[in-house]
Amino acid sequence: MQTSIIDAIRNTPDGREANRILRACTHCGFCTATCPTYQLTGDERDGPRGRIYLVKQVLEGHTPTAKTQHHLDRCLTCRACETTCPSGVEYAKLADIGRGLVEQQLTRPRRERLLRWVLRHVVAHRQRFALLLALGQAARPLMIGRLASLKSKIPPRRASSVPSHDRIGHSAASSGRSMLLFDGCVQPSATPHTNAAATRLLNRLGVRVITPTGAGCCGALSQHLSYRDEALDYARANIDAWWPHIRAGAEAIIVSASGCGAEIVEYGYLLRNDPAYAERAARVSALTRDLSDVLAAENLSRLDDIGHGQSVAYHPPCTLQNAPHLHDHVAEILTQAGYTLKPVANAHLCCGSAGSYSLLQPEMAGALRENKLRSLTAENPDVIVTANIGCQMHLESATGVPVRHWIELLEPAA
Amino acid sequence: MTLTTSRDNTRDDPRDNDIAESLAAAVTEAFENSTPIAIRGGDTKAFLGESGSAEQSLDITGHRGVVSYEPGELVITARAGTPLADIERTLADSGQALAFEPPYFGDAATLGGTIATNLAGPARPFTGAARDFVLGARIINGRGEILRFGGEVMKNVAGYDLSRLMAGAFGTLGVLLDVSLKVLPRPRAQVTQRFEQDQTAAIQNFCQLGRKPWPITASYWEDGTTYLRLAGASSSVSAAQKSLGGEMLSDDVAFWRDVREQQRPLFTDAKSLWRLSVAPATPVLDIAGTTAMDWGGALRWLAGNDDEQGIRQRISQHGGHATVYRGQASSRLHPLSHSMMAVHTRLKNALDPAGILNPGRMYADF
Amino acid sequence: MNQAASLFDPAEHAERASPPDKPTIIAALQAQLPAEMILTEAEDLRPFECDGLSAYRQVPMIAVLPATIEQVQATMRVCHAMDVPVVARGAGTGLSGGALPLDNGVLLSLAKFNRVLDIDTQNRRATVQPGVRNLAISEAVDHLDLYYAPDPSSQIACSIGGNVAENSGGVHCLKYGLTTHNILQLEIVTVDGERLTLGGASLDSPGYDLLALMTGSEGLLGVIVEVVVKLLPKPELAKVAMVAFDDVRAAGDAVAAIINAGCVPAGLEMLDSPAIIATEEFVHAGYPLDAAAILLCEVDGPAAEVEEDIERVREIVAGCGATDVRISRDATERALFWAGRKAAFPAMGRISPDYYCMDGTIPRKALADVLIGIGELSKKYGQRVANVFHAGDGNLHPLILYDANNPGELENTEAFGGAICELCLEHGGTITGEHGVGVEKIDQMCVQFPAAELTQFHAVKAAFDPRTLLNPGKAVPTLHRCAEFGAMHVHNGQVPFPELERL
Repeated sequence: MQTSIIDAIRNTPDGREANRILRACTHCGFCTATCPTYQLTGDERDGPRGRIYLVKQVLEGHTPTAKTQHHLDRCLTCRACETTCPSGVEYAKLADIGRGLVEQQLTRPRRERLLRWVLRHVVAHRQRFALLLALGQAARPLMIGRLASLKSKIPPRRASSVPSHDRIGHSAASSGRSMLLFDGCVQPSATPHTNAAATRLLNRLGVRVITPTGAGCCGALSQHLSYRDEALDYARANIDAWWPHIRAGAEAIIVSASGCGAEIVEYGYLLRNDPAYAERAARVSALTRDLSDVLAAENLSRLDDIGHGQSVAYHPPCTLQNAPHLHDHVAEILTQAGYTLKPVANAHLCCGSAGSYSLLQPEMAGALRENKLRSLTAENPDVIVTANIGCQMHLESATGVPVRHWIELLEPAA
Repeated sequence: MTLTTSRDNTRDDPRDNDIAESLAAAVTEAFENSTPIAIRGGDTKAFLGESGSAEQSLDITGHRGVVSYEPGELVITARAGTPLADIERTLADSGQALAFEPPYFGDAATLGGTIATNLAGPARPFTGAARDFVLGARIINGRGEILRFGGEVMKNVAGYDLSRLMAGAFGTLGVLLDVSLKVLPRPRAQVTQRFEQDQTAAIQNFCQLGRKPWPITASYWEDGTTYLRLAGASSSVSAAQKSLGGEMLSDDVAFWRDVREQQRPLFTDAKSLWRLSVAPATPVLDIAGTTAMDWGGALRWLAGNDDEQGIRQRISQHGGHATVYRGQASSRLHPLSHSMMAVHTRLKNALDPAGILNPGRMYADF
Repeated sequence: MNQAASLFDPAEHAERASPPDKPTIIAALQAQLPAEMILTEAEDLRPFECDGLSAYRQVPMIAVLPATIEQVQATMRVCHAMDVPVVARGAGTGLSGGALPLDNGVLLSLAKFNRVLDIDTQNRRATVQPGVRNLAISEAVDHLDLYYAPDPSSQIACSIGGNVAENSGGVHCLKYGLTTHNILQLEIVTVDGERLTLGGASLDSPGYDLLALMTGSEGLLGVIVEVVVKLLPKPELAKVAMVAFDDVRAAGDAVAAIINAGCVPAGLEMLDSPAIIATEEFVHAGYPLDAAAILLCEVDGPAAEVEEDIERVREIVAGCGATDVRISRDATERALFWAGRKAAFPAMGRISPDYYCMDGTIPRKALADVLIGIGELSKKYGQRVANVFHAGDGNLHPLILYDANNPGELENTEAFGGAICELCLEHGGTITGEHGVGVEKIDQMCVQFPAAELTQFHAVKAAFDPRTLLNPGKAVPTLHRCAEFGAMHVHNGQVPFPELERL
């Protein structure tokens, strides 16, 4: 596609990158077909091709208004478009650049600023989030009237302990193998079972699991809110926390929340211009694997028939479907474990969770969730499973069917 | 356009002739004098539609002959006055055919009349109508201009599809000169199975069969018997024959010819005959008379009922339309709504501004 | 002819009575439609400035995004009353600029009409809104073992309304026909806002075949607001042979040989070397990277017949000098073989920033000659070209690769494209097989059609839209435009329209 990026941007790293990405786009429109928001609104500006155009006009010197920001905000960054694009347009990278530029040129209304501040300063911090969550859970019965809608945003209380020190799960057999397990910010307090189950299972498989305390939020939240420098700081902190263990021979960085995994596999790209971190970041990205990908490579014979034919509807998170280098083996593992997987229509469409999206764009997120739950429950499954905390919390707040992280279904074997 | 040597070039007929210019001159004169003309070919389909109000006729049978035919291109171009039989013979010599199985209704049937009436035989729902095979046409419009639309290639979306529009227009939009048609290889094997069943069961049967990829190329029902024609490679035909069962019909070529040419007793005995075009799954119509079904249920023939109003009313309720083939009716073709008639007259005016081509041949309004 | 030309010269319509100003039009629309459906600022309008042919761009004056037929009617009534031209747009995937907006016009997006309204299994038909994606129809009836046959390469994204407007084809239309062969009924809104039903539930309708006329009319005769499509039972079996050749001529000859042998493949497609290389990188379909051309020949139908025919194809291509033949072993491999073909156009984005897709159709026998001719033109114009096309239909899709950021390269590309169109015409073909004329090939229409035919087209247009408000400037050139084009352009030593005064 023809571009005429203004001089002020063209020669910056972002400008060069944006130009490179834009040039690959042929405006064919294939991307609109798999875009969840375009399917809902039928508005060019709510599809990848239209958003590319919105970004392009900012790059070409047109001052954006809140409308451009609105349509960029409505993008889930699910990246379904990237897997549909025959020209290989790296949409998410372009969207990040575009959002950043718009953010620089526009001041958001106070309410939006406040919500975004809270997301960055509370949710992304494990202890603060745990506190807020506990408060929220305690206050649940008080949420009536106008506050009632908040109820659905708060996940149910689960036995939880937020670790304050390095957690090392010891393997039964001392094979000497070790792997890092990423905890993240929200998961330890909201769904503590997930990593506990993962740790137990990996231990049984002879793998020592390390969760270093210095690691925190993956940075995706900040990244999506256009605080890209803040995201890089999170990345650096995580790299610092993991590096000694990687040098000591940790085989992999296991991520059980694919939303985080998708961010961490991009560390190499995000820090490519930081000489102090570029090399280590690339190594971290290369070691990052989804939990299902790690398990699929192990001998899982002990899983045989723990599912007893229980019916499961699996919601593969967008990040696991679309992020390059993340591989999804959930369905095959559950099938091997004796669960019956139900067919789910439109599996490629996002559930609307998309990190902080469900909080920032509740209307769109709600519509997507409704469609997603209709597909997931069409065959009356006993349980819905997914592979990302965000999707799990978002879905469970609107259905009577239990929604769990798939690893919990392997508990009997752990 | 080049005259191509077909595989068998011995059939060069001394009667083959291109008289397009003289036909155009006649239309020009008619245009200038506002003299309505009736376009006439073999006169085999005069019973269809209205008789029209033109007194002067334009005989196109002198404009005849195959202009080009190359089996490898799956296209034949022939002049409108060419006898249909000549065309089908030419194609058969190369193992090809007009897949829409045009009815003749008389030996003199021409290509022009075939296209102008858009008639198709039993294969219609499976392979398409005459209009589906039209690739291009050369016509004379109502000003006497010779115009060429479409072409001799399989796909062509340059300009409005006016050549296809000529199909079924009864010559009211232009005098057909040459028509290019897509042709297809003849099936390698064919067999017909018959089954005893009542009409309701036959409709259900047709619907069910239509949802599966059976190699069926005709499905007809009359008098308690369903006839299914299977065609294709001999392996698939015999496999389908075995699966579907039924009793094999001995001379099925003659049978389907009789269906196509309306030589079955239902047709030959009928004093009044209606053609009812409906969605295939339409239930048995509650209309008095003897019925036969072709086109997998989408075509219902009704004999022995001349209640025009009753038939039209009932068929409209089913979203279909009724044409009278034999008998009396105030409008032989199904009447058009007011808004549709307005579009028709404007379109007619666009191609034939003086209203001289077959006026009143379809409807009294144009 | 002179007389006809002067009677119907639509150039007369070029000068409209000055329409109301933009704020007045906006106010009139806002009185009829929710405000958020009416886009008026450049920031909102620019994403609509082009369709799948991004070489041509024009920001519309106003874009309207209605969600109901009544809103479409209201929009048309306002525009009709105020003499504002309207360009309808579906998914915006067209490759001929058919949905290119007008700076003084309303762009009418039908993308919100994206619901399948009814599936009638018994009668094997589906009623869909015009914005429904082509592939979404087949997906909606997949569980019934039915499908919608026409499958343009953009089927994942292109909408059925656009398919009807362009009479789209696809890789399977040699056997199953084009859009015009696969629809039963259309609901349209006329230029003055009236609803009209064309076609019907039965296989034919009384009166003229307006369904045929509307199909492929590129939005010039009416706005399509509902479509009833035919559904076909899925074939029992389909197999595709991927055949490699080290010579383009041999591949072209193999196409003719297959047809001559009495085979009607469901699809018969060809890719040349540059196309093979570009698509293989995206799809990894296993296309041989060293082949000069590959043919994809699909046979479908009853299992026994398919097995028989695919072996015949194998024998025929072997006799034509094929260097390698691979036959799909299962549905997955078949889909993989096709995936490269379907993604071939946009995959050019990987080897070139821009591409210009041509659409000429020629008699099959001329395939090799035209391909070689295109190769020579490529040298003459100094631009690369990749060929991906429907060989069985003789429908070529030369993709001219260029870089729009290089000054002059688009102009050179257009000239190259024009030369390819004329090469097709010289071989008895047409300038467009399935993409439509749009704005892209409008000048070549002057070469394909004499003045009398163009005049007749304009008269037909006037029967539906006497004030030329629907998609003006597309599909059919004015004689005036042809005269201008002809002044620059001499075809076969003859100046077109010698009777017209040159500007």
